[in-house]
Amino acid sequence: MKSTYNSHIKRIVLGLVVFAVLGFVGKIVMTPKSFGKYGPYRADAIDEEANREIRHGTNASCLSCHPNEANMHLTGLHKTISCEFCHGPYADHIKDGKVYGKLPVKTKEEIKVLCLRCHNRAIQARPGEVIKTVIMPEHLEKQKVKVSHTCDQCHQVHAPLKHINRAKEIVGAKEKIDG
Amino acid sequence: MGKPDAGLDKERRAFIKKVLNGTVAGSLLLVIPMPIGAATPEIKEQIPGIRGKKWDMAHKRFAFIVDITLCIGCGSCCVADRLEYNVPAGYYRTWVERYLKDFNDNVYVDSPNGGFDGYQTPRADIDVEVRDTFFVPKLCNMCKEPPCVQVCPVGATFKTPDGFILVDAARCVGCAYCIQACPYSSRYLDPFTRTAEKCTWCYHRVRKGLLPICVNVCPTKARKFGDLNDKNSEVYKLLHEHEVLTVLKKDMGTYPALYYKGLRREVV
Amino acid sequence: MDALNFVFPNDLHVHWSMMIVLYPYLTGLVDGSFIVAALYYVFGVKSLKPLSRFSLVFALAFLSCAMFPLMMHLGRPERNQNMMITPSPTSAMSGAGFIFTVAIVLIGLIVLLVYRPTLVNLRLKSKGVMKILYRVLTMDSTNLSPESLELDRKIIKFLVAIGIPVATVLHGYVGFLFGGVKANPSWSTPLMPVIFLFSACVSGISALVLAYIVIKKLTNQPVDLACVRTCINILAGFFILAFSFEMLEVFSHSYLRTWYHHAVEGLLNGPLLYSFWVWQVVICSVLPLLLLGWLCLFKLRASVFKFFAATVSIMLLLQVLLMRWNVVIGGQLMSKSTRGYTQFHPEWFDKEGIITVIVLMGLPFIVLFILSKIFPLWLEEEKASS
Repeated sequence: MKSTYNSHIKRIVLGLVVFAVLGFVGKIVMTPKSFGKYGPYRADAIDEEANREIRHGTNASCLSCHPNEANMHLTGLHKTISCEFCHGPYADHIKDGKVYGKLPVKTKEEIKVLCLRCHNRAIQARPGEVIKTVIMPEHLEKQKVKVSHTCDQCHQVHAPLKHINRAKEIVGAKEKIDG
Repeated sequence: MGKPDAGLDKERRAFIKKVLNGTVAGSLLLVIPMPIGAATPEIKEQIPGIRGKKWDMAHKRFAFIVDITLCIGCGSCCVADRLEYNVPAGYYRTWVERYLKDFNDNVYVDSPNGGFDGYQTPRADIDVEVRDTFFVPKLCNMCKEPPCVQVCPVGATFKTPDGFILVDAARCVGCAYCIQACPYSSRYLDPFTRTAEKCTWCYHRVRKGLLPICVNVCPTKARKFGDLNDKNSEVYKLLHEHEVLTVLKKDMGTYPALYYKGLRREVV
Repeated sequence: MDALNFVFPNDLHVHWSMMIVLYPYLTGLVDGSFIVAALYYVFGVKSLKPLSRFSLVFALAFLSCAMFPLMMHLGRPERNQNMMITPSPTSAMSGAGFIFTVAIVLIGLIVLLVYRPTLVNLRLKSKGVMKILYRVLTMDSTNLSPESLELDRKIIKFLVAIGIPVATVLHGYVGFLFGGVKANPSWSTPLMPVIFLFSACVSGISALVLAYIVIKKLTNQPVDLACVRTCINILAGFFILAFSFEMLEVFSHSYLRTWYHHAVEGLLNGPLLYSFWVWQVVICSVLPLLLLGWLCLFKLRASVFKFFAATVSIMLLLQVLLMRWNVVIGGQLMSKSTRGYTQFHPEWFDKEGIITVIVLMGLPFIVLFILSKIFPLWLEEEKASS
């Protein structure tokens, strides 16, 4: 076939048209189905995010099975603290409504570190009316307690003033205990 | 510690009764069909008016308010958030900053590990007398005109009709343009999935009537979240009364849905 | 770092690293060399004829490799087609795939049409694989009648003419990509696309001048001095514009002293003191500016002229690379807290590391070499062989 003066141009144009059509068809085929439902994004992604695994419960969900702790926690000054902050997420403990793992219970030095995250006056930032703070080891020295003591030896962690108040009751109102 | 005395036993019995009643009432929720699976029937709802109803995508409006005067820098929010989303160390969906001011009005800001370990010691690298200290929690501002959505080349980050800005992890190409575009540095590139991530105000929890996890664990109620369609919600009241509420980087024109109460002038 | 330095926790990591410095650099070289081709084919600057074909093949070689830095950067390169399947209407980056496709098809067509007579002759003379290749490249047409050549000439002129806005968008969108980020005060300026474009032209023309002088030296061929002189004059014009806009940007901010100004000033006078003021401005801008003035305004001996033309080209290639570095990486060193700066540590063996940079910078030259075996680069050689 002899090429005319513009054969090569015609072939180029044909090639470009084929390329454009293929591109356009490809775009339509490869665009996800839910794309454009609400806007220029894949609408299915909304439900995918909404169905993400919930790892934490709420205090109500812990206390519904742990009435002992519930009783102390809900009547003490720590009622606003999340159980899961100290013990770990709900999902590590309950799966499909059944217990499947044990959540850690903090021990001595760990408890002290946890307490001081909130109650350390050395940081100077705690708004006084929001939370009571102490300086260690002066707090222990003032209470005439060994400086190696950890916080939970005097304060019930779920109800921090429970034993303090009981001790006050026992000793009588004569001795005022600071702290 | 020690044996519970008789008085305590009485209280316990009364309490257990209350809880059992509550459980019976709560178990009724099991019967109410939930629009998205039945994943959490046993967790009592925290945001009223969501469970048992169809989620009205177009008319939902939420607000998040952070009260700086209440934040004690405990970092519970950071811990809970990291565990809820398995956020890798060194990356942050939410974080808490500590601001120190000395008597010469110099401002020192730090955020060691994003506040994940709390603030257990004063700053070791400063030798000045501290006049004032405060903590500022930060998270996604859920802008009403999000620059991150504007720049995403593939539509992987988007604003839903209910006002949440989410990331489609299946579509993201990991170009990091959204991370550059966020004026609040709320976004990061997950080193394992190699896609962009950010705080979503716990969309998965909110859809099931639960509070975002950082709001749930905050012991001083410094973080507040609520439904603006509910005129009894705390956030609605704060936004409609004479409270002074501000936003971060207002000049950026992003119109955040995250408001701060008691925000100090030093905070950027 | 001192106690006053505070970087937002998510700002510690620099996300756009050396690959994003390299990408605008490569497309800039494409733009600059295309400008030379445009000046010849559209604006009829006859003295540029010796470089007319070389500039097109050079542009094609660099454009063919331009996407590699981006592929190495993406967290999910296997999803890169998403940018073309579901492009966002508001994102400058989503235009990347489309503009690249248009540009490479355009330059490819221009090369094929410009070279058509040469390729037809080569088809008739060669055998085996090369014969098939030339047959494909000439669209299986051996028609070299005056009508066909006249048609080709008109189409070439048209294509190169629309190539100018295409090349402008190809590199200009990168400038806008940065300029449109309001979150970063060192990037968000309407001048960013302009600065990027003019410095792109500077880098491209410098690359052509350097390549021309070096290749001719290595092959013991003579250099057309009139051509190099024209290039140097044009280079000087573009560089004055580029440098003026770069300095205007810095000095306006310095004068206006808006809220974020102190953070940007702290960046330029702190972490970027050496890479910006010492290297980019003094050594690689002021000095070449003086050299260019000397080269353009005075009559010099051929060997001296060639030597300093090559030297100035190297300095300007470095200037443009530094400018890209200071904008891309420098801009990310400044935290959005406006209270501090983070650090960037280039890795050797990272996927966006130094070795990758070296390989990807060398790749276009390998492509150029391969293309030179198919498309003869120099008209003098063609004349000699036919």
